Amino acid sequence: MTVDDVVLAANGDAAAFERVYHAHVPRVHSLARRMAGPEAAEDLTQDVFVRAWQKLGTFRGESSFGTWLHRLAVNVIVERFRALGVARNRFLPDAEPVLEVLPAPPRSRPDLGMDLQAAMDRLPPGARTIFVLHDVEGYRHEEIATMLGVSAGTSKSQLHRARQTLRQTLNADRPQMSRR
Amino acid sequence: MTQMTRMGDGGGMDVRRRGPGSDDPLDHDDPLLQAIEALADAPPERNLWPGIEERTVRRPDARRSFTFTLPQLAMAATLLVAVSAGVSWLAMRPAPAIPETAIRAVAEPTEALRADVQRATFADAAYDAAVADLERVLREGRNTLDPQTVMVLERNLAAIDEAIRQSRAALDADPANTYLNSHLADARRRKLELLRQAALLSSAGTL
Repeated sequence: MTVDDVVLAANGDAAAFERVYHAHVPRVHSLARRMAGPEAAEDLTQDVFVRAWQKLGTFRGESSFGTWLHRLAVNVIVERFRALGVARNRFLPDAEPVLEVLPAPPRSRPDLGMDLQAAMDRLPPGARTIFVLHDVEGYRHEEIATMLGVSAGTSKSQLHRARQTLRQTLNADRPQMSRR
Repeated sequence: MTQMTRMGDGGGMDVRRRGPGSDDPLDHDDPLLQAIEALADAPPERNLWPGIEERTVRRPDARRSFTFTLPQLAMAATLLVAVSAGVSWLAMRPAPAIPETAIRAVAEPTEALRADVQRATFADAAYDAAVADLERVLREGRNTLDPQTVMVLERNLAAIDEAIRQSRAALDADPANTYLNSHLADARRRKLELLRQAALLSSAGTL
């Protein structure tokens, strides 16, 4: 895929849009998978590319196309959460022990990234979204708060709880990886 | 972690930083950070393109809809204010010290100017010809205008041209959109008004 493919796709070129899709689908699908879980990832990925097709005319080239598409994907996913009403009330409860909401995953996984993915899938959607946006995608708490319609304090506390939960899971699965 | 990720922009790199947000970082020896770094992007297990194709390029009614984002609406409003202010400024500015015959010429354009400038009907050919004529008159009289006037004119013309360009691009995708059609007609009318004002000013200066 080239930058020209984005221009061609914006002018209705189906073959160029397909090349855009193939170039970016791993990133978009992985984002959807991490934020929304495996069940919703494919559906959301399709929605992201349909939205991209509709909005290509608004891409001005002020950032890279990848950055533009990434932000659009986050918006589509967050909109879905809002529509389903899961963003606000599916956080980790501050008062409960974290392992009560996060059963330890199987210990046989060979890959640390896959371990983390499996552990993230067990987080409540709201906490998982905040963890992915902050710790994987690099957004700041203020940005997350604006996107999700929560306070920055909620973002911070949920991130703290999600990190604790995930560390415990990873440590239970891989004791040798405990913090020194 | 400051890993940069390739986003498939034909070799370009995504500028978005991956890893914990800068306002709440993880220690470099935190095992959670190591796990985050080990995350890899993977395509879906099945090809999703047929479904996307069905919902986009294969749908006869899937022409892209044009929507204005909030910043675009704000910019459009700013342009409108700027253009209106520019036209008002041109209309209200103190008249240049010019001979009496020139003042009569402003109030009632000379036959030469009247004959030069075609009447615009917003049919593209007639409109474009009228705009071209006015631009020529303005070009020929440009040296008689003070530099600040020229600057305001050029800024406003650029703003209107951009509005026309954006409206045309949007209409390419949504030709039946009545709002866009009226927006384009309005921008074209404003351009013609501004050029007429400017041509009259410059012709007044040359008389």
